[in-house]
Amino acid sequence: MSNASTPQSDQELLNARLEQANQQLLQSEKLAAIGQLAAGVAHEINNPVGYVYSNLQTLDTYLNDLFRLTEAVDSARSLDDLRVIKQNIDYDYLRDDLRDLLAESREGIERVKTIIAAMKDFSHIEEEEFKPADIHRGIETTLNVVNNELKYKAEVVREFGELPEVECIISQINQVVMNLLVNAAHAIESFGRITIRTRQQGDTAIIEVQDTGKGISPEHRHRIFEPFFTTKPVGKGTGLGLSLSFNIIEKHQGSLDVDSTPGEGTCFRLTLPITQPDPNNE
Amino acid sequence: MIKIQLVDDERNILSALRRLLKPEGWEVHTYDNVEEALGSLLEHEYAVIISDYRMPTADGVTYLQFAKQRQPDAIRLVLSAYGDRESMIKAINQAEVHRYLSKPWEDHEVVSVIRSAIDLYQLKKENQRLRQENDRQKDMLRAREEELLRLEAENPGITRVQRDADGSVLIGNDD
Ligand SMILES: Nc1ncnc2c1ncn2[C@@H]1O[C@H](COP(=O)(O)OP(=O)(O)OP(=O)(O)O)[C@@H](O)[C@H]1O
Ligand SMILES: [Mg+2]
Repeated sequence: MSNASTPQSDQELLNARLEQANQQLLQSEKLAAIGQLAAGVAHEINNPVGYVYSNLQTLDTYLNDLFRLTEAVDSARSLDDLRVIKQNIDYDYLRDDLRDLLAESREGIERVKTIIAAMKDFSHIEEEEFKPADIHRGIETTLNVVNNELKYKAEVVREFGELPEVECIISQINQVVMNLLVNAAHAIESFGRITIRTRQQGDTAIIEVQDTGKGISPEHRHRIFEPFFTTKPVGKGTGLGLSLSFNIIEKHQGSLDVDSTPGEGTCFRLTLPITQPDPNNE
Repeated sequence: MIKIQLVDDERNILSALRRLLKPEGWEVHTYDNVEEALGSLLEHEYAVIISDYRMPTADGVTYLQFAKQRQPDAIRLVLSAYGDRESMIKAINQAEVHRYLSKPWEDHEVVSVIRSAIDLYQLKKENQRLRQENDRQKDMLRAREEELLRLEAENPGITRVQRDADGSVLIGNDD
């Protein structure tokens, strides 16, 4: 709170209010992103849960059949009786299929586990501080989260170079990469390719997200980083993705550039200093 | 033999459904891509077609619309993890699906929905068969009527056969 004894210039007041508005925007963008993702993630989880759940019900039937056989060991009068039961329950099929059923179910649970871990990695609300982080791991996490948005639109190609740990707020960088990936997927009309490239250049790390989408027309190029600028239909885009990403990268002392050819595709380039310049070192 | 087609880009979903439907004794065909599924519509006649909603090259509703053109009698079902209003409305209005099932599903529900779909399919078929039979018989009747009219025109009175009390045909003594 300002107090009356220290007079504040209009400029300072305006700056403070802008900063506050920015924070709110960041938060609301995060919520919007979560909302948008929730539908996609529900879809991603419902598929494996769907077949695992069904397999468990089948497993119950299989077990009842097997118990019929094992319990007959005591009551059967002859081995032939047992053989008849064994044949009736289609033992050979059952034995083979049990293995598949278990393997597939395990795969399903692994998938759910990965998605949940990615969500946790992704939200990281607690640790909003600069720390050395593995950018590639961050990208993988993000890919897991947005997989559902991407897989029907594009083949994802990774061209990862060598990168040291980068001093950043990884959850925010993940959010930027997510915005770029989702935009790339939206720009692709039928099916295309999204390439994620990383490399070190001097004391900076570079992340590129390139798509084979419809591109950005020259008259829109200078507006895309504006808050609320969107070419998407109402309800589809808020127009906050890039402006928030821009803010985040600015806070990281990095830069976000775009290169686009209408009809061919777009490449967003994110440049981050590997270590943050010391703010106390004036 | 009743044939059922399952389309889902997730192979494990197909295996789970195959397991589930095995005891029912239907012939179950599974496809993990829309192209092959479309192809098989030319080779097999399905009673029930069940499709996922979200798939890489075409969504389930688009696929079912195609399927409706190729096999209008097959009963169409959607099995989807999406479950949003929009996809449901699209499915019902555009592909005229019989039921919209969601993932995860209850096994007994899926089986009973498919059973009732098969009943419906068989009713439709039976109905068609009866209508054809009916049309054929009508045609036959019409042909006979025409023949009678023709005879009557050529020889008036010939189609009015007269009988005596014990049913024997009387010839010649008109009055
Ligand atoms: N990869 C891209 N290819 C083509 N156009 C793009 C691309 N990325 C961004 N744009 C353009 O920039 C606009 C602004 O993007 P931004 O991410 O800020 O908002 P949005 O995607 O419209 O909405 P949201 O808030 O949901 O992200 C988009 O509407 C689109 O016109
Ligand atoms: Mg966006």
